[in-house]
Amino acid sequence: MPAPSPIRDSGRASRVLLARIPIDVVELAAFGGRAANAAAVAARLGFPLPAHGRMARAPDGIALSVRPDRWLLLTSPAAPGVSVVRWQNACAESAAATDLSSGLAARLLAGPAVREVLARGCRLDLDPSVFGTGQTVTTIIAQVSVTLCALSSGTFLLTPTSTSRHLDEWLAATATPFGLDRIAAQSFLELIGDSTV
Amino acid sequence: MTGPFRVMAGTLTHAAEPVEFQFDGRRLAGLTGDTLASALLANGVRLVGRSFKYHRPRGIVTAGPEEPCALVDVLTSAGREPNQLATTLPLATGLVAESQNRWPSLRFDLLAINDVLARFLPAGFYYKTFMAPGWAWERVYEPLIRRAAGLGRLLPIVGDHAAPAEIVHDHADVLVVGAGAAGLGATRLLGAAGLRVILADQDAALGGGTLLDERWSEWRAAVLAELRHNGLVRALPRTTVIGAYGHGVFAALETLSTSESLAFGGLRERLRVIRAKRVLLAGGAVERLIAFPGNDVPGVMLAGSALAYLRRYGVAAGRRPALFVNSDEAYDTAFALADADVRPIGIIDVRPTSVAASRARARGLDVYPHSLVEAVVGRNAVRAVRIASADGHGRRSLAADCLLVSGGYSPATALATQAGASLRWRDGIAGFTADLDPKVGRVAGGANGSVGLAAAARDAAAAAAALAADLDRPLLMTEPVLPLPPDEPATPIAPLWEVAGRGKAFVDLQNDVTAEDVRLAHREGYEHVEHMKRFTTHGMATDQGRIGGLVGSAVLAAARGLPVAAVGQPQPRPYLQPIPFAALAGGEVREHFKPKRRLPLHDWHEAAGATFVPTGLWLRPLVYSRAPGWEPVLNEARAVRRAVGITDVSTLGKFDVRGPAAARFLDFVYANTFSTLAVGRARYGIMLREDGMMMDDGTTARLGPEHFIVTTTTANATAVLEHMEFHLQASCGDLDVVLTDVSDHWAQMAVAGPRSREVVAAVVSGLDLSNAGFPFMAASGATVAGIAGRVFRISFSGELAYEIAVPAAHAVTAWTALLAAGQSFGIAPYGLDALNTLRIEKGHITGAELNGNTTADDLGFQRMLKTRGDFIGRALSAREGLQAAERLRLVGVRPVDGGQRLRNGAHLLDAAAQGSSLGYITSSTPAVESRGWVGLALLADGRNRIGQTLRAVSSIHDESVEVQIVSPHMLDPENARARA
Repeated sequence: MPAPSPIRDSGRASRVLLARIPIDVVELAAFGGRAANAAAVAARLGFPLPAHGRMARAPDGIALSVRPDRWLLLTSPAAPGVSVVRWQNACAESAAATDLSSGLAARLLAGPAVREVLARGCRLDLDPSVFGTGQTVTTIIAQVSVTLCALSSGTFLLTPTSTSRHLDEWLAATATPFGLDRIAAQSFLELIGDSTV
Repeated sequence: MTGPFRVMAGTLTHAAEPVEFQFDGRRLAGLTGDTLASALLANGVRLVGRSFKYHRPRGIVTAGPEEPCALVDVLTSAGREPNQLATTLPLATGLVAESQNRWPSLRFDLLAINDVLARFLPAGFYYKTFMAPGWAWERVYEPLIRRAAGLGRLLPIVGDHAAPAEIVHDHADVLVVGAGAAGLGATRLLGAAGLRVILADQDAALGGGTLLDERWSEWRAAVLAELRHNGLVRALPRTTVIGAYGHGVFAALETLSTSESLAFGGLRERLRVIRAKRVLLAGGAVERLIAFPGNDVPGVMLAGSALAYLRRYGVAAGRRPALFVNSDEAYDTAFALADADVRPIGIIDVRPTSVAASRARARGLDVYPHSLVEAVVGRNAVRAVRIASADGHGRRSLAADCLLVSGGYSPATALATQAGASLRWRDGIAGFTADLDPKVGRVAGGANGSVGLAAAARDAAAAAAALAADLDRPLLMTEPVLPLPPDEPATPIAPLWEVAGRGKAFVDLQNDVTAEDVRLAHREGYEHVEHMKRFTTHGMATDQGRIGGLVGSAVLAAARGLPVAAVGQPQPRPYLQPIPFAALAGGEVREHFKPKRRLPLHDWHEAAGATFVPTGLWLRPLVYSRAPGWEPVLNEARAVRRAVGITDVSTLGKFDVRGPAAARFLDFVYANTFSTLAVGRARYGIMLREDGMMMDDGTTARLGPEHFIVTTTTANATAVLEHMEFHLQASCGDLDVVLTDVSDHWAQMAVAGPRSREVVAAVVSGLDLSNAGFPFMAASGATVAGIAGRVFRISFSGELAYEIAVPAAHAVTAWTALLAAGQSFGIAPYGLDALNTLRIEKGHITGAELNGNTTADDLGFQRMLKTRGDFIGRALSAREGLQAAERLRLVGVRPVDGGQRLRNGAHLLDAAAQGSSLGYITSSTPAVESRGWVGLALLADGRNRIGQTLRAVSSIHDESVEVQIVSPHMLDPENARARA
């Protein structure tokens, strides 16, 4: 059974709920593919690094792995540049940390019709038996790059900020027949609260 | 009961819900649940159209998507839609349909003269008849033929009036095609084993053949109830699988129910792309016709279709039906009609004896064994049939008003052959079945040659068990939900393809192909079944020859003296049925046709009155004005030359390059050197392709010993990222370098003009902006309006200029702070046009000059190429041909007469405007401060032509302008302004 969504239900018969999630994103990349070095960096900040295609929960955020030897570290928003400096200081000479907080926009889709909506733009099989909680992947939806992660609260999306409005418009148009409710921005930590690997 | 031929209650129709509709202007009534065809038949309408070539009267032949004749135009508020199948078109209130291919009316059609002239119009006649004169084909013959032949008329409906469409991606362990006894039973077993199943059936009602046999009602209801309660099973009625594409990919066209269509904004068809681990093809078999003279007269119908009209809609095909059969299955129709008090007046069976014939006689029905139909009497409707014994004796006439024909059943093999199956002839059914690779799936039921519903269900259960085992999910049960009603014992089919005689005997009703046409193809040397198909058009168009395809093969086989098995069938390609273009396009139309990339400051630009221009996927402000002409652009540019302007350059590609080997990597991918660049400095770089041509340019700044930020042109950002990623992985895999695209993270804005230092200084803290402290090409992290950002002293405009970068989320804060700081200097935002104007004057290049055909030398960058160390493009840039003096080189151009304008693309010719083009103008603009135009051009041996006078000729504008060739650096060639 999926956990109850922290997204507040507006009381309407919406089958799709869409929320914008403010987050900080840091990309951590190991030099020369030496993943153990990156893992050591992450461990210093309390982040376990997940295997490829997986999400891992840390006390103050989550880590996603969507390409080899790279991780996206998602935390609640801090002042500009603060999150990345924390990571850069931990990196020493073994890995690179790059700020993408303004480069990627986060959305959460929840509700019973989410897969129906995404199936209108996404070629991947998002059935829970195939794409279960804790799994993550980068693909193309509505012709733009989207990183998907299955959380217990819904489907989490990351997309480049320059195309995020295009994706929002596509989601709105596609989800309307199913009943779409846009809800206020959610706290990232509240959202991932009970998401476990 | 609506309509005189409605003789009983149908399983799909609702007697209490009449529906009014119009056909060819006649107001008629049918029932909810009817198709247009069943409603027309119920009203006794037999004649529904004219044929493709001979304009012969045609009626309703089948009860499904295999229909060759009953194609109609449907008129809606949106226009006229041709070639709608009356046999599948649901009857809806207010439906207005018209018959096709007739003029002036359906009953009296002038072009029916073609039927009389038929001996002059055999298959392929137009290839021979319309040979000369050559010019006449396109102008006379083809337009004439197209007007005379063809089906409906297409009115294209495009733009905002086009119907909505969508494509949905589905996934399953098993795709089951066909929801008859085989498909339903197998789906139940597979679903119960825990497999994800998609069950697709073309029919609005699931059940296939079980819908025509009352004994199967309970079984069907029990299976459907189980399927409804299994969340792993998705049953899709009205969904035709129209193509198999390999790797488990199938396309299916779903027609929406009225209520769902309303919910989806009028969406009518949905294209489903189904990816399945295995497929179970249980599409049954299609009844086929027999070729005999007059087999196209309205009232000649397939026997199984007549049964469908009776069971599903309660409609009798006639009052005095005769049947012409060669198998026992067709007798079900006779018995069902008799049960409904529509007594068949004769069953003409080609076989001497059969079990079913004995049963018919026992019921008091007249059977004419070992007999044939030689002809049909009647033109617009069947008035009688002439029959004779197979040896030609005992000729007589039966006063039938319809003739129900069955030539046997051909298993549905099209999808299987698309999925790679080979065909195998089966004597027992006189048809082909498909042998499918088990890694792709299985074929079961009627499609696999089973005869009878119970046999089909048993065959499918075995196939389901095999599929489940293949997918490591063994069946948990194998028993049917209820005992299967037993199949009647049957006498095997006696193949009968053609009855020889006078008059046209059609093998393809839709394309008016006769058995004689097939023999003509053979005589002309088109012996292969694929060649025969193309010569005659047999098996083409909307029905894909489903009911006559094998008959044509058999006629060809007889002509060649071969068994049908040796001749085979044409390979059916996707799509199995017509599909609207709109469905193929799906939702990616209009505003969703391509993604739009929006700037972090998009809303600000919009509020400031910007006119946007799409550049690639980006929407960029062209000019902050809606007024036409150059004046608003030049005003923006003048602000930059005289005081200060600000422009959004966030579209530039921006890549972070980090790591101990970052400098080595850049030295390899750029043609000039970056390892010597000091921290805190930026350098202009040029990048070559492997073939030595220019790929891109831009500035790269060193922000730390192991940290560079690369910028690229807007147009090439993606290509450069791919290029760099490719080489990082493929040719520099051992380097400790990480490349990250930060284009969307950083908003970047250029503040340019003689007062820009004062503006930037007011907003940036912690940075000495004096010329000594922060000289031209300096770069640094800095706090910008309180935000951690970056400042670069680089210039595209040629003026003193800075580029400010802040995280995109804070772009508005920085931008408005800069505007406020510049207010006293008259700062103004400038758009892409002004940006271009400024850079053309300065001689800076963009995509027009970086066009893929230019080398570094062509553009004046030869001195930048490293002389030591390798870099991409080094070897091939040294090719002899790339050094040739006559190559096009970058120059500047100015009209000699300052009152004349330049045109992009204008060709440069010598002063006499003779000979061939010496080059062309790539970019041009009115000058910002001086009168007249300036431009950049690529000119043969350009550098040695500086000072010459040429003519710039634009034929499409009918303009010829005398121009002077000048240095491309038309403004401040010493670069004193930028260094000020």
